[in-house]
Amino acid sequence: MTAILPHTELHGRVVEFLNREAEMLDEYRFSDWLKTLSPDITYRMPVRTTQFLTDGKGFHDFALIDDDYATLETRVKRLETEFAWAETPPSRTRHFVTNVLVERLDDTTLEVRSCFMVTRTRADLEHQIFTGLKIDRLADDGERLLVLSRVIEVDQTAITNTNLSIFF
Amino acid sequence: MSATIPPTRTVLRSGEALEEIVRPAEGLVSRRIFTDPEVYELEQERIFAKAWFFLGHESEIAEEGDVVTRTCGIDPVVLVRDDEGIVRAFLNSCRHRGMRVCRTDRENTSFLRCPYHGWSYANNGKLLTAAAEEHYEDGELDKENLGLIPVAQLDTYQGLIFATWDPDAPPLRDFLGDMTYYIDLIVGRSGGVEIIGQPQIWDVDTAWKFATDNFTDNFHVFSAHHSLVELGMLPNDPDFAAHGHMIVAGNGHILHLTPGAPIEAYESYGLPMELRAKFAEHLTPDQVEMARKTAYSAGTVWPNFHWLQLMSSGTIGQPDVPFLNLRLEVPLSATRTRMWSWLAVDKDASPEFRKATYETYVRTFGPAGIYDQDDMENWEDCTRANLGPAAKRHSLHHKMGIGRPVDTSWPGPGTAYADSYGEMTQRSWYAAWLEHMTR
Repeated sequence: MTAILPHTELHGRVVEFLNREAEMLDEYRFSDWLKTLSPDITYRMPVRTTQFLTDGKGFHDFALIDDDYATLETRVKRLETEFAWAETPPSRTRHFVTNVLVERLDDTTLEVRSCFMVTRTRADLEHQIFTGLKIDRLADDGERLLVLSRVIEVDQTAITNTNLSIFF
Repeated sequence: MSATIPPTRTVLRSGEALEEIVRPAEGLVSRRIFTDPEVYELEQERIFAKAWFFLGHESEIAEEGDVVTRTCGIDPVVLVRDDEGIVRAFLNSCRHRGMRVCRTDRENTSFLRCPYHGWSYANNGKLLTAAAEEHYEDGELDKENLGLIPVAQLDTYQGLIFATWDPDAPPLRDFLGDMTYYIDLIVGRSGGVEIIGQPQIWDVDTAWKFATDNFTDNFHVFSAHHSLVELGMLPNDPDFAAHGHMIVAGNGHILHLTPGAPIEAYESYGLPMELRAKFAEHLTPDQVEMARKTAYSAGTVWPNFHWLQLMSSGTIGQPDVPFLNLRLEVPLSATRTRMWSWLAVDKDASPEFRKATYETYVRTFGPAGIYDQDDMENWEDCTRANLGPAAKRHSLHHKMGIGRPVDTSWPGPGTAYADSYGEMTQRSWYAAWLEHMTR
């Protein structure tokens, strides 16, 4: 694993990729977002528990979200109906991405870790905040990046925000 | 206030009596009970300090020394399997200053130690050491009587662990009564179930009662989950879940047994054939036949524990797969509720079925589920609109099926009604609520 430093072209491409992804999600361009995902993607948000540090970070096999490409596509098509009430009318989301760290795993694969803060605002209600770490595997053919896998390490053990009807 | 209602302790500050504003037989339920802090204060003593509550499943604390933190009613408890293998539950609170003695969600330990002054308890609740013991005069530190505060009663049924804070509550078997027949039908069908992984936990801005109301309601599905009708993932027929039976099983326990499409894939909850083959060993012939006709079942053990035995798919065009979801709602306030949700699977299930049922559950239910997420939206929206004084002057409407006759041909216990669209299960739940609140 080789660290890719900031101010390199590759690091810049990764940050641009993550920021464009955030914009797509915030602008409800979910079909475009799907095109940035590998057909073999695994997309998970594991359940987190509070436990002693000596017992690990508190992540488990069980998940809050555990999707593949077909189920993500199903979610997108569901949001495109007029009847997905959790997001109809839609929330306003803002996906913030920071602390982007890029490692090269091999000639065509990167591991990217980034911190996220997502705010969701529904109707005239107070906004809700989701924070955590995203661990992505990205495929890189030199021109285009594609998400091979994503693990969303959410900070909350109890999701205090109604539901998980948005993408991360 | 009506002159015919005698003054009782259930008169609210508004001057309204609960008996007046909750009239289950007429299908009228005040919006006030879903929003008022005053009603929630009464519920704390009259329901949450008294009823039997689901704490977890035996498989979650399989090993000696396993500890998980839960709530009994609304009080925090540690649920442990002690070093002798006995399942126990204690208030998660040191006898000295009240600090939590278990501050993780799960661990394995022989000791529960309070960080504050170091009081240490064995996992059977006994106080082993207090702080600075030599500074107490004789008789000031009665360690024998300073163990962790146990629940008043704890018992299990089909691996489900229940407890109550009320020493005078009837024994669990008596409390469950006829509902054991139906718990057997779901949880006991193949010789027992176990929990897969950890519970999902999330908070919703609604009254705890809204989830209960929703989980005994088949006819919301066509509208509330209409996105899935649009995608061809639910039948495009408003009456598709209208068949089968609703059963009022006594003591506030209620359930639905609903058939799916009239093909073998939707019989016996849609479980794999090798699991269906075990039913006859564990169920009566009547129960086996009842299970055969059932694809979907939602049951509520009074007041806030549910099973959802459902079939669904997380992927357009893919076949439905069954899952058994156990649910609990714990109120955090009058209008905020913590949802607990477990996935259970038959102990004898194959690795392939475990994977399929897990994927289906996580994708369709729980906080991210393409079904569940819309329910939470609806409950929150109801709650916000029910808050105001004008809204509270008008009851909610629960009249469907008031005149429907009992199906006297039903072979099981309880009072059964043909068809799964109706509000008799809700009305019987609110009647139990009213009885507990006005006792």
